[in-house]
Amino acid sequence: MTSSPIISLKNIHLTLNSDAGPVNILRGIDMTITAGETVGIVGPSGSGKSTLMSIMAGLETPSDGDVIICGENFKGMSEDELACFRRDNIGIVFQSFHLIPTMTALENVAIPLELAGRADAFDTARIKLEQVGLSARESHYPTQLSGGEQQRVALARALVTEPEILLADEPTGNLDGATGDVIIQQMFDLHDGHNTTMVLITHDESLAQRCDRTIRIEDGRIAGDMVAGAPVEHEGQSS
Amino acid sequence: MSAPKRESLGLAVRYAYRGMRGGLKGFRIFIACLILGVAAIAGVGTLSSSINEGLRANGQVILGGDIDVRLTARPASDSEYAWLASMGQISSVQVLRAMVHAPQTDQRLLSELKAVDDVYPLFGALTFNKVSGELSTAVYPALMRKNGVYGVLVEELLLNRLDVGVGAQLNIGQLSFEIRGVIKGEPDKASQGISLGPRVVISTEALDKTGLVQPGSLLKYHYRLKLKDGVRVEDFRLAADADQGDVGWRINDSSNGAPGIKHFVERVAMFLTLVGLTALVVGGVGVGNAVRAYLDGKLETIATLKCLGASSSFIFRIHFLQVIFLAFVGSLIGLGLGYGGAVVASQFLAQALPVPAVVSFQALPLMLAAAYGLLTATLFSVWPLASARETSAASLFRDFAGKKKWPRPFYVLLTIGTLITLMALAVLTADEAFFAAYFVVAASAVFIVLYVVGGLVQWLARNAPRSRFPVLRMALANLHRPGSATASVVLSMGLGLTLFVTVALIEGNLRAQVQDQLPEKAPAFFFIDIQNTQIDQFIETAEQVEGVSEVNYVPNLRGRIVKVNDIPAAEVQVASDVKWVLHGDRGLTYAKDIPVNATIVAGDWWPDDYTGPPLISLAEDAAIGMGIGVGDSMTINVMGREVTAKIANLRKVDWSSLAINFVIIFDQYTLAAAPHSNMATALAPDSSENELFRAITGKFPNVSVIRMKEALQTVSKILKQLSSAVTATASVTLISGILVLAGAFAAGHRKRVYDSVILKVLGATRRDIFKIFVLEYALLGLATSVIAAAAGWLGAYIVITKVLETKWLDLPWTIVGTIVISVGITILFGLFGSWKALGEKPAPILRAE
Repeated sequence: MTSSPIISLKNIHLTLNSDAGPVNILRGIDMTITAGETVGIVGPSGSGKSTLMSIMAGLETPSDGDVIICGENFKGMSEDELACFRRDNIGIVFQSFHLIPTMTALENVAIPLELAGRADAFDTARIKLEQVGLSARESHYPTQLSGGEQQRVALARALVTEPEILLADEPTGNLDGATGDVIIQQMFDLHDGHNTTMVLITHDESLAQRCDRTIRIEDGRIAGDMVAGAPVEHEGQSS
Repeated sequence: MSAPKRESLGLAVRYAYRGMRGGLKGFRIFIACLILGVAAIAGVGTLSSSINEGLRANGQVILGGDIDVRLTARPASDSEYAWLASMGQISSVQVLRAMVHAPQTDQRLLSELKAVDDVYPLFGALTFNKVSGELSTAVYPALMRKNGVYGVLVEELLLNRLDVGVGAQLNIGQLSFEIRGVIKGEPDKASQGISLGPRVVISTEALDKTGLVQPGSLLKYHYRLKLKDGVRVEDFRLAADADQGDVGWRINDSSNGAPGIKHFVERVAMFLTLVGLTALVVGGVGVGNAVRAYLDGKLETIATLKCLGASSSFIFRIHFLQVIFLAFVGSLIGLGLGYGGAVVASQFLAQALPVPAVVSFQALPLMLAAAYGLLTATLFSVWPLASARETSAASLFRDFAGKKKWPRPFYVLLTIGTLITLMALAVLTADEAFFAAYFVVAASAVFIVLYVVGGLVQWLARNAPRSRFPVLRMALANLHRPGSATASVVLSMGLGLTLFVTVALIEGNLRAQVQDQLPEKAPAFFFIDIQNTQIDQFIETAEQVEGVSEVNYVPNLRGRIVKVNDIPAAEVQVASDVKWVLHGDRGLTYAKDIPVNATIVAGDWWPDDYTGPPLISLAEDAAIGMGIGVGDSMTINVMGREVTAKIANLRKVDWSSLAINFVIIFDQYTLAAAPHSNMATALAPDSSENELFRAITGKFPNVSVIRMKEALQTVSKILKQLSSAVTATASVTLISGILVLAGAFAAGHRKRVYDSVILKVLGATRRDIFKIFVLEYALLGLATSVIAAAAGWLGAYIVITKVLETKWLDLPWTIVGTIVISVGITILFGLFGSWKALGEKPAPILRAE
């Protein structure tokens, strides 16, 4: 791929302070992802995968290093600026769905557009719900939806602003096999339709294989980076 | 990157509404706490404003005229009367205390005698039941002489006390009367002050013939005026100043027909409002807890919204709008309940009120109560809302949470600003700003102390040596574990209990003083209106009764302080506790020797043979309150003549001894020639009281006898009524504290269920878990009540010994009772909130986790 990087992480370190003392989560991550790529991030529990994703989303500030997303360096951006950026450029799908329980499916999907002040928020949200096959459930609350349906609503919400980047943290972790497959297929279909850059955290090796590239994280470092089976060089690290 | 666009207020309102769709279960305590406090303040404010409005609207009826001109111990001169009559229609009323005698039963009684003319009443009507039982308002015809006998109208109490009926004979002074009616309603009763006996109404013509009107008799002459057209009250006052000067009369107008009652109502209302505000602030702790618990459950939603692009200020606005909406709803309900409560209370107070008990819509007190409610909700919710605003969206990706963040400086300032606004509103809207300020400062101090002490209790629990009894160890651990209810229970229940204990100890001390201590040293009787020609025979008669001792007498005149060091009395700066000295008439006396119960603290007593310029001895507390001392001067109007006297000495007076004491004592020379009567006291054992009473009243029908026991009972009754009102309002504070307690326990319910389940998995029986709960609640209740008892004791001690300057009486059972009740309530509510946890099966809970 010869496109310019859409995600660029340079020497990312993250240390968190807790009541039990400092915890080194990320220990020098260098990574670039080009526009339109699908990237699977794999690794054991506690390796720092989710934290890496939260840094890409601007939800976490690294202790050291630069985060450049869509050409914007996150360093120096305020929390509200990051929130706005996220709203317009990044969609996130969580393992636990994280739908707002007191809002209907339609309202949940419309949130990013409402926050952006879009007059057509609900019309656009309705179209997106239809794309994930849930137009008949638009007035239902999350407790009235199955796990798979909730995740499809979450997917619609993540993609309603047609973001440049889609981040998905174990999107099928709380779903059964068949349902999970449906969700993944929809994600890839939507990616294909919009050329969205997709970064996917997963324990499922077969899912990771579907991605253009697989990055392995172990103990806060990149332990492997394979593109179609071939290793990718990283500064100071061996694949 | 350009500045992010702010989400609109309309969007925040929509999101606030959506957020409340999940139900308001967690806000029941929030709303209940606000309702209680707002209702108390609204109820007190509505009732007192309605009473005052009633007093204003009925001013003419209560006063008996547009204007009431009062002279003490002397009637208006011919020129003064003529001047008054030129200002409008005039009605003369004379008021004094006098003994009445029913020869039929040979019973005697002190009465409040009122003599009226044929014009009375100028406004309203005096209603009475005639012999036939028919209701009538024709007063003067009932009092006129018929078949050689004058008529008298009496209150039913007199008939009961003397055991006579309508138609019976009643002797007053030297004259016999016939009881011709029972008074049902007296329009101007409220303006007359405290009664020491039942009302008796006769004609002014009859009064002249009773022999009770003697030089120096304690008689008040009232001249009520219905001003003629075109003459306003202000015009009258100006004309009185210009044409008559200061002749020694006191002018009252219908805009303040019963100043004593108005002042009393305002004082009580102010105090009860402050107590209600304390209840609201206690409830604020519950508000804060409810908001905190609600936000804890919303953290995931907040983090999700932030992931989706919501700004932190948007998060704050959504939840603040929810809080304000609920506060508005709670306040509205509180206003309704307060108004309803005022209507109900007015029915119970109808007998005691001088005006019709009509509660009307009073906008200002209701608006004030609502403002207090909204401010309290804001004060206690800004901090948790601002903390929640800082929720990291990354918490959705992480299992452990970082340290809790402090709110931003803006929100800290907003909290402080709201607190200052609340305090300022309480002080500025109070009738007595200084008292309100003291109360607010004291309540704040107690609040801070209790907050610190709550933390101290947790520290002690955390650092207590590990007990070898697991139940005790776990109960103590529950006191200091994260999320425990200890701090808020100590704060809210503690404040309510402190107020309760303070009120109970003050009331108990005052009641003991009035009922037990004072009567021990008080004289059995006060005798007034003893003429100079009667004094020797009076003493002889009294001392002849077996057991009677210490018959003391003093000359008695009435006068009014008109100037202090040439400054008119109305302009003198005087401390609030001695304002009464400059207000209205004062009892005066003169003496050659220093009174027995007095100590000279400054200056010197005059010599035995003093005949120089007027000198006075002044009570020390009055001098301090007016900022004057030895060498300063006072001008006193005595029966129309102004006497300027120099202060020769200051005296320390023990008012609680109930011996004859005066604020002002003249030298033995200046007033000796002024017309006056005498006042006497006598000590008598209970067994001799009746005989002394009969001996004096039989021989001296003009002498009025005040039985100290009855007077103290009257005071005690008023004290009891006051105390009931204050205790009831203080109870609101306590109930508020209980609500917070219930809320705190309910908020911890889920955690408690989980804890119980895990304990069961590990082998604990339900009995073990029950013992842990009971011990935890008992320790919490004990800690709270001990702290409250100590704080309440200190507050009451300061009030009794330093403010009221009386002796302190220990009331241990009040303290013990408080502790027992507090522990009981804490255990009861704690178990009520935790009972279900005992019966929960482990499996479903563990699966859900």
